[in-house]
Amino acid sequence: MTLLADIGGCVHFFLQSMDVLIRKGVNRHEVFMQVWRVTVQSLPTTAMAGFFVGAIMTVQFAMQVEAYGAMGYLGGLSTSATIRQVGPLLIAFMLSGKVGAFTAAELGTMRVTEQIDAIRCLGANPFQELILPRMIAIILSSFALLAAGLLMSVFGGVLLAIGFAGINADEYLRHIPTIVKLPSIATGIFKCLVFAIVLAAICTYKGFTASGGARGVGRAVVETAVATMVALVAADWATSLIAETVLSVLISQTGAGSIEAAVIS
Amino acid sequence: MIQFEGLVKRFGDREVLKGLSLQIEKGQIVFILGTSGTGKSVLLKTLVGLLRADGGKVVIDGQDVTHLSEEDYLPIRRRCGMVFQHPALFDSMTVAENIAYGLMKHEKLTLEQALPRVRECLAMVGLSDTIENKLPTLISYGMQKRVSLARTVAVGPTILMFDEPTTGLDPVTTKQINFLIRDLSHRLKTTSIVVSHDMDCALEIADRIIVLDQGKIIDQGTVEQIMSSKQPLVVDFLHEAKARAVKA
Repeated sequence: MTLLADIGGCVHFFLQSMDVLIRKGVNRHEVFMQVWRVTVQSLPTTAMAGFFVGAIMTVQFAMQVEAYGAMGYLGGLSTSATIRQVGPLLIAFMLSGKVGAFTAAELGTMRVTEQIDAIRCLGANPFQELILPRMIAIILSSFALLAAGLLMSVFGGVLLAIGFAGINADEYLRHIPTIVKLPSIATGIFKCLVFAIVLAAICTYKGFTASGGARGVGRAVVETAVATMVALVAADWATSLIAETVLSVLISQTGAGSIEAAVIS
Repeated sequence: MIQFEGLVKRFGDREVLKGLSLQIEKGQIVFILGTSGTGKSVLLKTLVGLLRADGGKVVIDGQDVTHLSEEDYLPIRRRCGMVFQHPALFDSMTVAENIAYGLMKHEKLTLEQALPRVRECLAMVGLSDTIENKLPTLISYGMQKRVSLARTVAVGPTILMFDEPTTGLDPVTTKQINFLIRDLSHRLKTTSIVVSHDMDCALEIADRIIVLDQGKIIDQGTVEQIMSSKQPLVVDFLHEAKARAVKA
């Protein structure tokens, strides 16, 4: 029951935020500040993680494609897997650990020290001033971080391909445009958007509804960490299912026979 | 004039305010005294619309505000300034930005336009404008309380509410805050409601004292009337206040 109430509360909170966004707008200056903060805060770790993900993907795929004599497709396959699956999930986990916990703690502290009540008393709407800027920042920053993480993953993949698989950078990069087409990019962007919304809704909700002093803030942070991890994995399953279904329909309708379609199917 | 008529507030199964009725005249300093958990702060938050009543009515200057929407409450909140138990200053903003916040939201002023009023309010609470560019964390807790008071009076409220204004303060700063409450209430001609369990503070600044227990009013009157009360809880409060005075 508590879980259901929590999910319902979080969904209601998100819809309430969207209602305020549509009817009243948002403090744009605060959005800019938050985007900057979230991006700067997470860029180094995301870039580093992206680098190693590219490297891991290259090692994994190299062992498989070598058996088929298809080393030329190594770069395309590992990049496709990164953009469609690992990249968005990795960015979401990174943001969850850094920005999610930080946001829950920040809003929770503001709640228990009555700063949120003070904002209301001073004639401002906490959704416009606090919640929406943070939600929008997490969503926008996710895309920027996905792009950065992806670039670093290609870089990591190239280095590993040269050192581990014995192919040169040109060979690694050549088939990326052949394999990574619009469906892969669209899937990555779709997942990135959904994960960012899930994360933004949970961390702001948990922080905003924190109660019970310092212990309450601590509890909100822990609950944010646990809830986002579980929700992100569930969202990954749901978005994968949706993306694959949509893609299968498209392939059957267009009769596309590209390498990517073959890889997907 | 402020009226609470049969006010009921529940949190789950727990009824905190049990049909409380109270009338506060314009220009008075009313002190609501009671032990922890009796619903004093809940009463203030219900008045300013931070909490909504589950029953009864809240009337401010003849207007029933009990069921107003969040947006319709905004002009009411402008008239009802609240000083919270914690200073509740925004950590990321300077002292000046904190005080100007309400003016920027209510009157759409820029910080530069609000600065003269900010300095005036700082002077009102006995602070120099040299602290206006400091972050709240860089000034003492007593100063933070004063800045919080300056932020509240900056928007020109006609009703001032103080939730445990002297909690966590040393005796000297407590006296200064008590003086400020009385002084500002008279100077700005506001109706003031102070919520606390501090009987010394009540005896020092109140025009009228209301004693709450278990969500109900158990005694009320002027300072003289309360001092001669036979109500056991009031007698306990008075004994404790006398004991503290002797110790001091």
